[in-house]
Amino acid sequence: MFITADMIFWVQQKRWLLIALAVGAVLYWFIPHPESLGQDAYHILIIILMTLILILKEPIPLPAIALQLIFWQVIIGGSTANEVGSYFMNDAVFFIMGSLMLAVAIVSQGLDKRLALGIIRITGNKTWRIVTGFTAISALLSSFMGPHMVTAMMLPVALTLIRFTNKSRKSIRGLTASLLFAIAYGAMFGSIGTPSGGGRNVIMMNYWAEFGSGSLSYIEWIKLVYPMVLLEIPLAAFIILKTFPPELPVLDTAVRRLSAEVARSGKTTLKQMATLLLFGGVLLGWAFLSENYGLGSIALIGVFLFVAFGLVSWEELSKGTNWGVILLFGATISIGVQMKNTGGAAWLADGSVNLLKGLIPNIDALRAVVSVALSGVLSNLLSGSATVAVVGPVVLNLGGDPILLGLASVISSAFGYFTTVAAPACTIIYSSGLVKAPDFLRAGWKMAVMSTLSLALVGLVWWPLFR
Amino acid sequence: MTKKKLLVDPKSLKFLTAVSSIEYSKPTLKMGALIASVFDASHGVVYVGERASGFHGSSVNMTRQNLDNWNIIHPGLEVLEWALEEIKKMSPENQDLAKIKFNPDHVHEEDGRVRVILPNDKGSRIELILREGELVDQLRREIQLEDYNLAIIGGSQNKRHLAHSIIQYIPCSIFVLQKFNPRKHYKLLLLVDDSAATRKSVEYGALIAKKLGWPVRTLTVSKTKRFGEGYQGAADLTKAYFQSKDIEVEQFFLTGDPVRTFVEFAGDNHFIIMGASTLNPVKQLLFGSKPIKTLEQTDVPILIVR
Repeated sequence: MFITADMIFWVQQKRWLLIALAVGAVLYWFIPHPESLGQDAYHILIIILMTLILILKEPIPLPAIALQLIFWQVIIGGSTANEVGSYFMNDAVFFIMGSLMLAVAIVSQGLDKRLALGIIRITGNKTWRIVTGFTAISALLSSFMGPHMVTAMMLPVALTLIRFTNKSRKSIRGLTASLLFAIAYGAMFGSIGTPSGGGRNVIMMNYWAEFGSGSLSYIEWIKLVYPMVLLEIPLAAFIILKTFPPELPVLDTAVRRLSAEVARSGKTTLKQMATLLLFGGVLLGWAFLSENYGLGSIALIGVFLFVAFGLVSWEELSKGTNWGVILLFGATISIGVQMKNTGGAAWLADGSVNLLKGLIPNIDALRAVVSVALSGVLSNLLSGSATVAVVGPVVLNLGGDPILLGLASVISSAFGYFTTVAAPACTIIYSSGLVKAPDFLRAGWKMAVMSTLSLALVGLVWWPLFR
Repeated sequence: MTKKKLLVDPKSLKFLTAVSSIEYSKPTLKMGALIASVFDASHGVVYVGERASGFHGSSVNMTRQNLDNWNIIHPGLEVLEWALEEIKKMSPENQDLAKIKFNPDHVHEEDGRVRVILPNDKGSRIELILREGELVDQLRREIQLEDYNLAIIGGSQNKRHLAHSIIQYIPCSIFVLQKFNPRKHYKLLLLVDDSAATRKSVEYGALIAKKLGWPVRTLTVSKTKRFGEGYQGAADLTKAYFQSKDIEVEQFFLTGDPVRTFVEFAGDNHFIIMGASTLNPVKQLLFGSKPIKTLEQTDVPILIVR
């Protein structure tokens, strides 16, 4: 047999694809489905397991992972192609597509320089105030715009401030990390504040509607969740400043130079005004019209207007939009629905509850723990949206109040503080090359503890006032 | 050996140095540039950065485009800019090189990589390349694309578990500069046996010894007390080749486990040159090979000639 080094290299590179296929094949052909689980449900769970391995290790590009999700559902999942297709496009996918496009349209307008000036005016030049200001602004903006857009706009501001300190990188590692983590963590926990803060929020809303679990309006969501965002802002800033103490107490020169740099970019342009106006309109639409028209449709109206008014070209939108992610979420949501329809989600939910009921006798506390732990752990390995897409149907089958459990799941899926891959905000600051992977662990565990306690506080004290 | 056509053609050599950071890659870059200049080879410098997960790749790209508007360049381009300046400093007399200006806006995306265009370049034969992804995979792609003869890799990038992948899958000669100290006086240690790769490694060794003026030792190790005709013949030919190039050479014949003997003999003041393994890839994967084991066990720079 003639085996070349190239062949061995291919096998080595694609080993996780081969492992996923092997795991799937063994489970499909050699291990019978449990009696309490139907055959189709078992096959759907096999597909999900293979997909989780592929998403986790990415031996093939994401769009290819999405494609295999679709065809396996038809080949072994007991679904017809039309059934899979019918779940593929829905308001959540429209929203993800629209918000990715809106991000491209808005970030390209240069509004970040205005933003920089605004922040500096509020915070002044004391470092702790700047870090707290960055955390607050990132959280508040992210709750409406999404973390990827906010981090893309805030990172240049932070890096410019760092550059203008005129210090060597080694000597201001604490300052650098505190500014970057203020942006990333602020954007992450802020993204739970409103439904439009992230794709995962809309995926959960979509599941509530699809599974007949009830609904929450945009304003009702804000009422329940925003207090947690506000509570976390000072706590997160404190954790970040304590974990990465900045070497300089005042950034006088850097702030002055940043102000001068921003001033050089001139006055607000007509395009920038139009962008703010349009995005303001989209926000109002999300807040007051989404119950009738859906968040996705309103996001698409916004994109349409951006293109129609010439604020962004279709070529720019097309190039900057991650079509692979859209494909993957469509496919993941479709399998999430199949997991529910075949009974796989209920089987997993019952299994989790039965496994842990000896440890936590109170059933409500047990459901909350399963929901939070499952979402929190998975979100550090996958992305928050993928976590909710997969975990959502299971959580909604745990029993209890599906709205509150769903919210707990969505909120804890934003706890991906430990790794560089969990959230776009983490990946973006990591790609700057100025923070290292262990930094995420150093600050991440404190953030996770703080966020979990905040969720418990809000869940036990605030939510009972409304439900 | 002296009458045969040379396997190493010094006129058409292309060397590639992999750099990872300004902090750690200076010795690697310096040695890469030195070796490239003494061989008069084209010199590519490649930075291989981590690729963002597929979920967030477009968000990272969007941020980088925005950073461009603030004149903040990709960290990899920053390293390549530094690399160019370092190379210039090493050859202050080279006027062509001095005229080259780095401009982060002058980049060209092609074949899954970013190539920096050097507008005033008139025959410096320097390439600056940015890639993202897994190190060995990206180096392989670059080497296959540009047909490099030698890849120069720093010790910091060569974690032990990478030794296997680097040696087995990089499709050209490999120079691993682990714990390389530019101020240290090294001796060349050429490992000679009857394998096909020995002849090419002898030619490389002679070129390096001649250009750098380093003392040369050859080491032939037999597992038994008897040195067969093949080993003896290879050692004789090696000596004759070095003599024909007016290079003094000390020869050593030792018995024992080859890898352990190489490593013990090399100590910390030799610079090992050895041929790549001719074992089939499956055996190399399962059982390793002399170069793989030597690289795993030694801490001195090592050149594996393919």
